[in-house]
Amino acid sequence: MRHFTLTALLGLFLLVGFVPFSHADEAAKITAQTKEKVTNVIDYLRDTSLDKEDRNAKILAEVESIFDFNLMARLSLGKKWKKTKKKLRKQFVKVFVKRIQQSYLEKLDLYTDEKIEIEDAKLTKKKRAELKTYLVSKDDKKEMIYKFHKHKKRGWLVYDVNILGVSFVQTYRSQFAGVLKDKSMKELIEDLKNPDQS
Amino acid sequence: MKSTARSLLLALLLTLGGAAWLGAAPEGSRLPGQGPLLVQASEDSEEDDSELDEDEDEEGEDEEDEFDEEGFDDEFAEPAEEEGSDPLSGYNRVMTGFNDGFYTYVLDPTARGYRWAVPEGGRRSVNNFFRNLLYPVRFVNNVLQFKLKNAGEETGRFLINSTVGLFGLFDPAKSWFGLEERQEDFGQTLGHYGVGGGFHIVLPFLGPSNARDTVSLYPDFLTDPTNSKFVVRKENGDHVLYGDNKLAPIGTKVVEVVNYTSLHIGEYDNLKKDAVDLYPFLRDVYEQNRNKKIAE
Repeated sequence: MRHFTLTALLGLFLLVGFVPFSHADEAAKITAQTKEKVTNVIDYLRDTSLDKEDRNAKILAEVESIFDFNLMARLSLGKKWKKTKKKLRKQFVKVFVKRIQQSYLEKLDLYTDEKIEIEDAKLTKKKRAELKTYLVSKDDKKEMIYKFHKHKKRGWLVYDVNILGVSFVQTYRSQFAGVLKDKSMKELIEDLKNPDQS
Repeated sequence: MKSTARSLLLALLLTLGGAAWLGAAPEGSRLPGQGPLLVQASEDSEEDDSELDEDEDEEGEDEEDEFDEEGFDDEFAEPAEEEGSDPLSGYNRVMTGFNDGFYTYVLDPTARGYRWAVPEGGRRSVNNFFRNLLYPVRFVNNVLQFKLKNAGEETGRFLINSTVGLFGLFDPAKSWFGLEERQEDFGQTLGHYGVGGGFHIVLPFLGPSNARDTVSLYPDFLTDPTNSKFVVRKENGDHVLYGDNKLAPIGTKVVEVVNYTSLHIGEYDNLKKDAVDLYPFLRDVYEQNRNKKIAE
Protein backbone atom coordinates (compact mmCIF):
# COMPACT_ATOMS: atom_id res chain seq x y z
CA MET A 1 0.00 0.00 0.00
CA ARG A 2 2.73 2.36 0.97
CA HIS A 3 4.45 1.69 -2.28
CA PHE A 4 1.24 2.64 -4.08
CA THR A 5 0.86 5.86 -2.16
CA LEU A 6 4.41 6.76 -2.91
CA THR A 7 3.96 6.21 -6.63
CA ALA A 8 0.74 8.16 -6.52
CA LEU A 9 2.58 11.02 -4.91
CA LEU A 10 5.23 10.80 -7.55
CA GLY A 11 2.54 10.92 -10.20
CA LEU A 12 1.08 13.97 -8.54
CA PHE A 13 4.47 15.58 -8.40
CA LEU A 14 4.99 14.93 -12.08
CA LEU A 15 1.59 16.40 -12.85
CA VAL A 16 2.05 19.54 -10.81
CA GLY A 17 5.70 19.93 -11.58
CA PHE A 18 5.55 19.57 -15.29
CA VAL A 19 2.44 21.44 -16.26
CA PRO A 20 3.92 24.90 -15.88
CA PHE A 21 7.28 23.65 -16.97
CA SER A 22 5.99 22.31 -20.26
CA HIS A 23 4.28 25.61 -21.00
CA ALA A 24 7.40 27.59 -20.31
CA ASP A 25 9.31 25.14 -22.39
CA GLU A 26 7.00 25.47 -25.39
CA ALA A 27 7.24 29.24 -25.18
CA ALA A 28 11.01 29.12 -24.86
CA LYS A 29 11.14 26.99 -27.95
CA ILE A 30 9.21 29.57 -29.94
CA THR A 31 11.44 32.37 -28.72
CA ALA A 32 14.60 30.47 -29.53
CA GLN A 33 13.39 29.42 -32.95
CA THR A 34 12.34 32.95 -33.88
CA LYS A 35 15.55 34.47 -32.58
CA GLU A 36 17.52 32.10 -34.70
CA LYS A 37 15.52 32.94 -37.83
CA VAL A 38 15.72 36.67 -37.25
CA THR A 39 19.46 36.50 -36.72
CA ASN A 40 19.88 34.52 -39.90
CA VAL A 41 17.74 36.92 -41.92
CA ILE A 42 19.70 39.92 -40.65
CA ASP A 43 22.96 38.17 -41.40
CA TYR A 44 21.82 37.67 -44.99
CA LEU A 45 20.70 41.29 -45.22
CA ARG A 46 24.09 42.49 -44.06
CA ASP A 47 26.02 40.11 -46.24
CA THR A 48 26.93 42.31 -49.17
CA SER A 49 28.65 39.48 -51.00
CA LEU A 50 25.33 37.88 -51.90
CA ASP A 51 23.51 39.11 -54.95
CA LYS A 52 19.95 40.13 -54.32
CA GLU A 53 18.21 37.19 -55.89
CA ASP A 54 20.36 34.74 -54.05
CA ARG A 55 19.88 36.60 -50.83
CA ASN A 56 16.10 36.72 -51.21
CA ALA A 57 15.93 33.01 -51.92
CA LYS A 58 17.92 32.29 -48.79
CA ILE A 59 15.78 34.58 -46.70
CA LEU A 60 12.57 33.05 -47.97
CA ALA A 61 13.84 29.61 -47.15
CA GLU A 62 14.44 30.75 -43.56
CA VAL A 63 11.09 32.41 -43.24
CA GLU A 64 9.06 29.67 -44.86
CA SER A 65 10.02 27.22 -42.20
CA ILE A 66 8.22 29.18 -39.48
CA PHE A 67 5.34 30.70 -41.45
CA ASP A 68 2.08 28.97 -42.20
CA PHE A 69 1.39 30.75 -45.47
CA ASN A 70 -1.44 28.40 -46.39
CA LEU A 71 -3.31 29.22 -43.24
CA MET A 72 -2.69 32.93 -43.75
CA ALA A 73 -4.23 32.67 -47.19
CA ARG A 74 -7.23 30.83 -45.87
CA LEU A 75 -7.81 33.19 -42.96
CA SER A 76 -7.51 36.18 -45.26
CA LEU A 77 -10.39 34.90 -47.29
CA GLY A 78 -12.56 34.52 -44.20
CA LYS A 79 -15.98 33.01 -44.73
CA LYS A 80 -15.53 33.03 -48.49
CA TRP A 81 -13.04 30.21 -48.18
CA LYS A 82 -15.76 27.65 -47.59
CA LYS A 83 -17.73 28.82 -50.58
CA THR A 84 -14.78 28.66 -52.91
CA LYS A 85 -14.17 25.67 -55.11
CA LYS A 86 -11.13 23.62 -54.43
CA LYS A 87 -9.39 24.42 -57.66
CA LEU A 88 -9.83 28.13 -57.15
CA ARG A 89 -8.66 27.85 -53.58
CA LYS A 90 -5.42 26.38 -54.78
CA GLN A 91 -4.93 29.13 -57.31
CA PHE A 92 -5.77 31.70 -54.70
CA VAL A 93 -3.31 30.31 -52.17
CA LYS A 94 -0.63 30.27 -54.79
CA VAL A 95 -0.99 33.86 -55.91
CA PHE A 96 -1.59 35.14 -52.41
CA VAL A 97 1.48 33.46 -50.98
CA LYS A 98 3.58 34.71 -53.85
CA ARG A 99 2.32 38.20 -53.29
CA ILE A 100 2.90 38.35 -49.55
CA GLN A 101 6.36 36.89 -49.94
CA GLN A 102 7.14 39.54 -52.51
CA SER A 103 5.78 42.23 -50.24
CA TYR A 104 7.85 40.90 -47.36
CA LEU A 105 11.03 40.95 -49.40
CA GLU A 106 10.35 44.48 -50.56
CA LYS A 107 9.90 45.57 -46.97
CA LEU A 108 13.31 44.17 -46.20
CA ASP A 109 14.77 46.59 -48.74
CA LEU A 110 13.93 49.36 -46.30
CA TYR A 111 16.09 47.74 -43.69
CA THR A 112 19.13 49.79 -42.79
CA ASP A 113 20.55 49.49 -39.32
CA GLU A 114 17.49 48.77 -37.18
CA LYS A 115 17.86 46.46 -34.27
CA ILE A 116 15.32 43.83 -33.46
CA GLU A 117 14.43 43.22 -29.85
CA ILE A 118 12.67 39.97 -29.15
CA GLU A 119 10.73 39.41 -25.98
CA ASP A 120 9.84 36.01 -24.60
CA ALA A 121 6.97 34.24 -26.29
CA LYS A 122 3.80 33.72 -24.29
CA LEU A 123 1.27 30.96 -24.70
CA THR A 124 -2.16 32.51 -24.99
CA LYS A 125 -4.09 29.28 -25.45
CA LYS A 126 -3.09 25.68 -25.68
CA LYS A 127 -2.21 25.95 -29.31
CA ARG A 128 -1.58 29.63 -29.66
CA ALA A 129 1.30 31.84 -28.74
CA GLU A 130 2.37 35.41 -29.20
CA LEU A 131 5.81 36.80 -29.58
CA LYS A 132 6.40 40.50 -29.20
CA THR A 133 9.29 42.07 -31.06
CA TYR A 134 10.41 45.62 -31.55
CA LEU A 135 12.01 47.11 -34.58
CA VAL A 136 14.23 49.79 -33.09
CA SER A 137 15.57 52.54 -35.31
CA LYS A 138 17.20 55.83 -34.50
CA ASP A 139 14.02 57.74 -33.97
CA ASP A 140 11.40 55.21 -33.14
CA LYS A 141 10.43 51.79 -32.01
CA LYS A 142 7.85 49.76 -33.87
CA GLU A 143 6.02 46.96 -32.17
CA MET A 144 5.54 43.78 -34.15
CA ILE A 145 3.69 40.81 -32.73
CA TYR A 146 4.01 37.42 -34.31
CA LYS A 147 1.10 35.08 -33.70
CA PHE A 148 1.84 31.40 -33.63
CA HIS A 149 -0.34 28.35 -33.74
CA LYS A 150 0.70 24.80 -33.20
CA HIS A 151 0.62 22.90 -36.43
CA LYS A 152 0.16 19.17 -36.11
CA LYS A 153 3.18 18.26 -38.15
CA ARG A 154 5.31 21.33 -38.37
CA GLY A 155 5.14 22.59 -34.80
CA TRP A 156 4.79 26.27 -34.00
CA LEU A 157 4.09 28.42 -37.04
CA VAL A 158 3.26 32.05 -37.61
CA TYR A 159 -0.26 32.69 -38.89
CA ASP A 160 -0.47 36.45 -38.46
CA VAL A 161 1.79 39.42 -37.97
CA ASN A 162 0.58 42.47 -36.17
CA ILE A 163 2.51 45.65 -36.86
CA LEU A 164 1.62 48.65 -34.69
CA GLY A 165 -1.78 47.16 -34.06
CA VAL A 166 -2.45 46.44 -37.71
CA SER A 167 -3.13 42.79 -38.31
CA PHE A 168 -1.87 41.51 -41.59
CA VAL A 169 -4.59 38.91 -41.95
CA GLN A 170 -7.36 41.24 -40.83
CA THR A 171 -6.34 43.87 -43.33
CA TYR A 172 -6.34 41.44 -46.23
CA ARG A 173 -9.53 39.92 -44.99
CA SER A 174 -11.56 43.10 -45.15
CA GLN A 175 -10.02 44.06 -48.47
CA PHE A 176 -10.88 40.71 -50.03
CA ALA A 177 -14.39 40.86 -48.63
CA GLY A 178 -14.76 44.28 -50.21
CA VAL A 179 -13.38 43.23 -53.57
CA LEU A 180 -15.45 40.05 -53.66
CA LYS A 181 -18.63 42.03 -53.24
CA ASP A 182 -18.45 43.20 -56.83
CA LYS A 183 -15.93 40.85 -58.35
CA SER A 184 -15.64 37.12 -58.76
CA MET A 185 -12.98 34.97 -57.18
CA LYS A 186 -11.35 34.58 -60.59
CA GLU A 187 -11.07 38.32 -61.02
CA LEU A 188 -9.59 38.68 -57.55
CA ILE A 189 -6.96 36.10 -58.40
CA GLU A 190 -6.15 38.03 -61.58
CA ASP A 191 -5.86 41.24 -59.55
CA LEU A 192 -3.47 39.59 -57.17
CA LYS A 193 -1.32 38.44 -60.01
CA ASN A 194 -0.71 42.01 -61.17
CA PRO A 195 -0.18 43.99 -58.02
CA ASP A 196 0.88 47.21 -59.71
CA GLN A 197 -2.33 48.03 -61.44
CA SER A 198 -4.61 47.69 -58.46
CA MET B 1 -12.18 -2.26 -2.52
CA LYS B 2 -10.11 0.51 -1.19
CA SER B 3 -7.04 -0.68 -2.99
CA THR B 4 -8.85 -0.87 -6.33
CA ALA B 5 -9.91 2.74 -5.93
CA ARG B 6 -6.38 3.69 -5.12
CA SER B 7 -4.97 1.83 -8.09
CA LEU B 8 -7.43 3.59 -10.32
CA LEU B 9 -6.47 6.94 -8.91
CA LEU B 10 -2.84 6.04 -9.31
CA ALA B 11 -3.32 4.98 -12.90
CA LEU B 12 -5.10 8.22 -13.62
CA LEU B 13 -2.44 10.32 -12.00
CA LEU B 14 0.32 8.52 -13.79
CA THR B 15 -1.35 8.93 -17.15
CA LEU B 16 -1.85 12.59 -16.53
CA GLY B 17 1.65 12.97 -15.19
CA GLY B 18 3.02 11.15 -18.19
CA ALA B 19 0.98 13.32 -20.51
CA ALA B 20 2.25 16.39 -18.73
CA TRP B 21 5.77 15.19 -19.16
CA LEU B 22 5.21 14.50 -22.82
CA GLY B 23 3.93 18.01 -23.17
CA ALA B 24 7.48 19.16 -22.65
CA ALA B 25 8.69 17.01 -25.51
CA PRO B 26 8.86 18.45 -29.03
CA GLU B 27 6.63 17.99 -32.10
CA GLY B 28 3.48 15.99 -32.10
CA SER B 29 3.05 15.75 -28.37
CA ARG B 30 0.09 17.36 -26.73
CA LEU B 31 -0.18 19.58 -23.75
CA PRO B 32 -1.84 18.11 -20.68
CA GLY B 33 -5.36 18.86 -19.68
CA GLN B 34 -6.45 18.94 -23.27
CA GLY B 35 -9.89 17.42 -23.53
CA PRO B 36 -10.64 14.66 -26.00
CA LEU B 37 -12.80 17.08 -27.93
CA LEU B 38 -9.91 19.29 -28.87
CA VAL B 39 -7.76 16.37 -29.80
CA GLN B 40 -10.42 15.27 -32.22
CA ALA B 41 -10.85 18.66 -33.71
CA SER B 42 -7.25 18.77 -34.80
CA GLU B 43 -7.27 15.22 -35.98
CA ASP B 44 -8.20 15.99 -39.58
CA SER B 45 -5.35 15.85 -41.96
CA GLU B 46 -3.62 19.03 -42.90
CA GLU B 47 -2.47 20.00 -46.32
CA ASP B 48 1.19 19.92 -47.10
CA ASP B 49 3.48 22.72 -48.04
CA SER B 50 3.67 21.18 -51.43
CA GLU B 51 0.27 22.80 -51.94
CA LEU B 52 2.26 25.76 -53.11
CA ASP B 53 3.67 23.88 -56.01
CA GLU B 54 2.17 23.85 -59.44
CA ASP B 55 1.08 20.23 -59.53
CA GLU B 56 -2.57 19.55 -59.31
CA ASP B 57 -2.48 16.24 -57.47
CA GLU B 58 -5.12 15.78 -54.84
CA GLU B 59 -3.44 16.23 -51.53
CA GLY B 60 -4.95 17.59 -48.40
CA GLU B 61 -8.28 15.97 -49.11
CA ASP B 62 -10.04 16.86 -45.93
CA GLU B 63 -8.89 20.39 -45.50
CA GLU B 64 -12.49 21.45 -44.98
CA ASP B 65 -13.03 23.65 -41.95
CA GLU B 66 -10.33 22.03 -39.92
CA PHE B 67 -9.30 25.36 -38.45
CA ASP B 68 -12.69 26.64 -37.52
CA GLU B 69 -12.88 24.47 -34.49
CA GLU B 70 -9.69 25.98 -33.27
CA GLY B 71 -11.35 29.33 -33.06
CA PHE B 72 -9.45 31.18 -35.75
CA ASP B 73 -12.66 32.70 -37.01
CA ASP B 74 -13.37 34.34 -33.68
CA GLU B 75 -10.02 36.03 -33.80
CA PHE B 76 -10.66 38.04 -36.89
CA ALA B 77 -13.71 40.17 -37.26
CA GLU B 78 -15.88 39.67 -40.29
CA PRO B 79 -15.58 43.04 -41.94
CA ALA B 80 -18.64 45.15 -41.33
CA GLU B 81 -18.96 46.48 -44.81
CA GLU B 82 -22.62 47.45 -44.71
CA GLU B 83 -23.40 50.76 -46.28
CA GLY B 84 -24.13 52.38 -42.95
CA SER B 85 -20.65 51.98 -41.50
CA ASP B 86 -18.93 53.97 -44.23
CA PRO B 87 -21.36 56.62 -45.46
CA LEU B 88 -18.64 58.74 -47.05
CA SER B 89 -16.97 55.96 -48.98
CA GLY B 90 -17.59 57.65 -52.33
CA TYR B 91 -15.98 60.92 -51.27
CA ASN B 92 -13.31 59.07 -49.31
CA ARG B 93 -12.21 57.16 -52.36
CA VAL B 94 -11.82 60.33 -54.36
CA MET B 95 -9.92 62.04 -51.57
CA THR B 96 -7.68 59.01 -51.13
CA GLY B 97 -6.81 59.28 -54.82
CA PHE B 98 -6.07 62.97 -54.41
CA ASN B 99 -3.87 62.46 -51.35
CA ASP B 100 -2.08 59.58 -53.01
CA GLY B 101 -1.34 61.75 -56.03
CA PHE B 102 -0.26 64.62 -53.82
CA TYR B 103 2.12 62.35 -51.96
CA THR B 104 3.53 60.75 -55.08
CA TYR B 105 3.92 63.84 -57.25
CA VAL B 106 4.49 66.64 -54.76
CA LEU B 107 5.48 65.59 -51.28
CA ASP B 108 7.69 62.65 -52.13
CA PRO B 109 9.81 64.48 -54.77
CA THR B 110 10.09 67.52 -52.51
CA ALA B 111 11.20 65.40 -49.59
CA ARG B 112 13.70 63.59 -51.79
CA GLY B 113 15.21 66.88 -52.89
CA TYR B 114 15.35 68.05 -49.32
CA ARG B 115 16.94 64.77 -48.26
CA TRP B 116 19.58 65.29 -50.91
CA ALA B 117 20.30 68.82 -49.65
CA VAL B 118 20.24 68.29 -45.89
CA PRO B 119 22.33 65.66 -44.15
CA GLU B 120 20.56 63.03 -42.10
CA GLY B 121 21.79 64.29 -38.74
CA GLY B 122 20.31 67.69 -39.46
CA ARG B 123 17.00 66.25 -40.50
CA ARG B 124 16.83 64.14 -37.37
CA SER B 125 17.48 67.20 -35.28
CA VAL B 126 14.74 69.15 -37.02
CA ASN B 127 12.41 66.24 -36.38
CA ASN B 128 13.42 66.14 -32.72
CA PHE B 129 12.85 69.88 -32.50
CA PHE B 130 9.27 69.63 -33.73
CA ARG B 131 8.52 66.64 -31.60
CA ASN B 132 9.78 68.45 -28.56
CA LEU B 133 7.52 71.39 -29.36
CA LEU B 134 4.53 69.07 -29.41
CA TYR B 135 5.09 68.34 -25.73
CA PRO B 136 1.99 70.31 -24.62
CA VAL B 137 -0.30 68.14 -26.76
CA ARG B 138 1.13 64.95 -25.30
CA PHE B 139 1.25 66.30 -21.75
CA VAL B 140 -2.34 67.54 -21.72
CA ASN B 141 -3.71 64.31 -23.11
CA ASN B 142 -1.69 62.12 -20.78
CA VAL B 143 -3.07 64.11 -17.87
CA LEU B 144 -6.61 63.94 -19.23
CA GLN B 145 -6.31 60.17 -19.26
CA PHE B 146 -4.76 60.18 -15.78
CA LYS B 147 -1.58 58.69 -17.16
CA LEU B 148 0.33 60.73 -14.65
CA LYS B 149 3.51 58.74 -14.79
CA ASN B 150 3.70 59.23 -18.54
CA ALA B 151 2.85 62.91 -18.16
CA GLY B 152 5.74 63.22 -15.70
CA GLU B 153 8.03 61.39 -18.07
CA GLU B 154 7.01 63.77 -20.86
CA THR B 155 7.74 66.77 -18.65
CA GLY B 156 11.13 65.34 -17.78
CA ARG B 157 11.83 64.86 -21.46
CA PHE B 158 10.76 68.39 -22.29
CA LEU B 159 12.95 69.93 -19.59
CA ILE B 160 16.00 67.88 -20.45
CA ASN B 161 15.69 68.16 -24.21
CA SER B 162 14.91 71.87 -24.21
CA THR B 163 18.05 72.61 -22.20
CA VAL B 164 20.71 69.94 -22.46
CA GLY B 165 19.25 68.91 -25.80
CA LEU B 166 19.69 72.44 -27.19
CA PHE B 167 16.09 73.56 -27.73
CA GLY B 168 15.03 70.04 -28.52
CA LEU B 169 17.42 69.47 -31.40
CA PHE B 170 18.77 66.41 -29.63
CA ASP B 171 17.13 63.76 -27.53
CA PRO B 172 19.39 63.13 -24.53
CA ALA B 173 16.31 62.38 -22.42
CA LYS B 174 15.97 59.10 -24.27
CA SER B 175 19.57 58.26 -24.96
CA TRP B 176 20.91 59.18 -21.52
CA PHE B 177 17.96 58.92 -19.20
CA GLY B 178 15.84 56.33 -20.97
CA LEU B 179 12.74 58.53 -20.93
CA GLU B 180 10.42 57.52 -23.74
CA GLU B 181 8.05 59.71 -25.64
CA ARG B 182 4.42 59.02 -24.68
CA GLN B 183 2.42 59.96 -27.69
CA GLU B 184 -1.19 60.89 -26.90
CA ASP B 185 -3.61 63.16 -28.68
CA PHE B 186 -7.15 64.28 -28.05
CA GLY B 187 -8.66 61.60 -30.26
CA GLN B 188 -6.91 59.01 -28.10
CA THR B 189 -8.22 60.72 -24.98
CA LEU B 190 -11.79 60.53 -26.27
CA GLY B 191 -11.24 56.93 -27.29
CA HIS B 192 -9.88 56.19 -23.84
CA TYR B 193 -13.22 57.31 -22.38
CA GLY B 194 -15.13 55.09 -24.74
CA VAL B 195 -15.91 57.44 -27.61
CA GLY B 196 -16.03 55.39 -30.81
CA GLY B 197 -14.40 56.50 -34.01
CA GLY B 198 -17.62 57.18 -35.87
CA PHE B 199 -17.63 57.26 -39.64
CA HIS B 200 -14.38 57.20 -41.51
CA ILE B 201 -13.36 60.34 -43.33
CA VAL B 202 -10.32 61.04 -45.47
CA LEU B 203 -9.09 64.57 -44.97
CA PRO B 204 -7.34 66.52 -47.71
CA PHE B 205 -3.56 66.35 -47.24
CA LEU B 206 -3.89 64.87 -43.76
CA GLY B 207 -5.18 61.51 -44.94
CA PRO B 208 -7.34 58.91 -43.15
CA SER B 209 -9.27 60.01 -40.09
CA ASN B 210 -12.68 59.50 -38.54
CA ALA B 211 -15.35 61.67 -36.98
CA ARG B 212 -13.84 61.50 -33.50
CA ASP B 213 -10.30 62.22 -34.59
CA THR B 214 -11.32 65.01 -36.94
CA VAL B 215 -13.16 66.83 -34.18
CA SER B 216 -10.13 66.26 -31.99
CA LEU B 217 -7.91 68.14 -34.38
CA TYR B 218 -9.18 71.38 -32.93
CA PRO B 219 -8.12 70.84 -29.28
CA ASP B 220 -4.81 69.48 -30.55
CA PHE B 221 -4.43 72.53 -32.75
CA LEU B 222 -4.92 74.77 -29.72
CA THR B 223 -2.24 73.00 -27.72
CA ASP B 224 0.23 72.81 -30.59
CA PRO B 225 2.62 75.76 -30.33
CA THR B 226 3.73 75.46 -33.94
CA ASN B 227 0.34 76.84 -34.90
CA SER B 228 1.26 80.12 -33.29
CA LYS B 229 0.71 83.06 -35.55
CA PHE B 230 3.56 84.96 -34.03
CA VAL B 231 6.49 85.78 -36.17
CA VAL B 232 9.61 87.85 -35.55
CA ARG B 233 10.49 90.52 -38.07
CA LYS B 234 13.38 92.90 -38.19
CA GLU B 235 12.27 96.50 -38.25
CA ASN B 236 14.72 99.40 -38.14
CA GLY B 237 17.29 97.15 -36.57
CA ASP B 238 14.91 95.93 -33.87
CA HIS B 239 13.29 92.53 -33.63
CA VAL B 240 9.57 93.00 -33.49
CA LEU B 241 7.07 90.30 -32.66
CA TYR B 242 4.01 90.27 -34.86
CA GLY B 243 0.94 88.37 -33.83
CA ASP B 244 -1.02 88.37 -37.04
CA ASN B 245 0.89 86.30 -39.50
CA LYS B 246 -1.53 83.78 -40.88
CA LEU B 247 1.03 82.14 -43.09
CA ALA B 248 3.56 81.47 -40.35
CA PRO B 249 1.93 78.28 -39.06
CA ILE B 250 1.54 76.96 -42.60
CA GLY B 251 5.20 77.56 -43.34
CA THR B 252 6.14 75.79 -40.14
CA LYS B 253 3.90 72.84 -40.98
CA VAL B 254 5.40 72.52 -44.45
CA VAL B 255 8.92 72.30 -43.04
CA GLU B 256 7.78 69.86 -40.39
CA VAL B 257 6.03 67.59 -42.86
CA VAL B 258 8.70 67.67 -45.56
CA ASN B 259 11.35 67.00 -42.97
CA TYR B 260 9.40 64.11 -41.49
CA THR B 261 8.73 62.64 -44.91
CA SER B 262 12.40 62.85 -45.81
CA LEU B 263 13.15 60.51 -42.92
CA HIS B 264 10.56 57.99 -44.07
CA ILE B 265 11.03 57.88 -47.82
CA GLY B 266 9.79 54.73 -49.48
CA GLU B 267 7.70 53.61 -46.52
CA TYR B 268 4.36 54.69 -47.92
CA ASP B 269 5.07 53.10 -51.29
CA ASN B 270 6.07 49.97 -49.51
CA LEU B 271 2.99 49.91 -47.35
CA LYS B 272 0.83 50.51 -50.40
CA LYS B 273 2.03 47.27 -51.93
CA ASP B 274 -0.12 45.35 -49.47
CA ALA B 275 -3.18 47.08 -50.80
CA VAL B 276 -5.48 45.24 -53.14
CA ASP B 277 -7.76 48.25 -53.06
CA LEU B 278 -6.10 51.38 -51.70
CA TYR B 279 -8.94 53.17 -49.93
CA PRO B 280 -10.28 50.35 -47.73
CA PHE B 281 -6.71 49.27 -47.08
CA LEU B 282 -5.61 52.64 -45.74
CA ARG B 283 -8.87 52.96 -43.83
CA ASP B 284 -8.32 49.67 -42.07
CA VAL B 285 -4.70 50.32 -41.33
CA TYR B 286 -5.65 53.66 -39.81
CA GLU B 287 -8.52 52.38 -37.69
CA GLN B 288 -6.65 49.32 -36.40
CA ASN B 289 -3.63 51.41 -35.53
CA ARG B 290 -5.74 54.02 -33.73
CA ASN B 291 -7.52 51.34 -31.72
CA LYS B 292 -4.21 49.99 -30.60
CA LYS B 293 -2.93 53.41 -29.60
CA ILE B 294 -6.10 54.03 -27.63
CA ALA B 295 -5.80 50.71 -25.86
CA GLU B 296 -2.23 51.43 -24.78
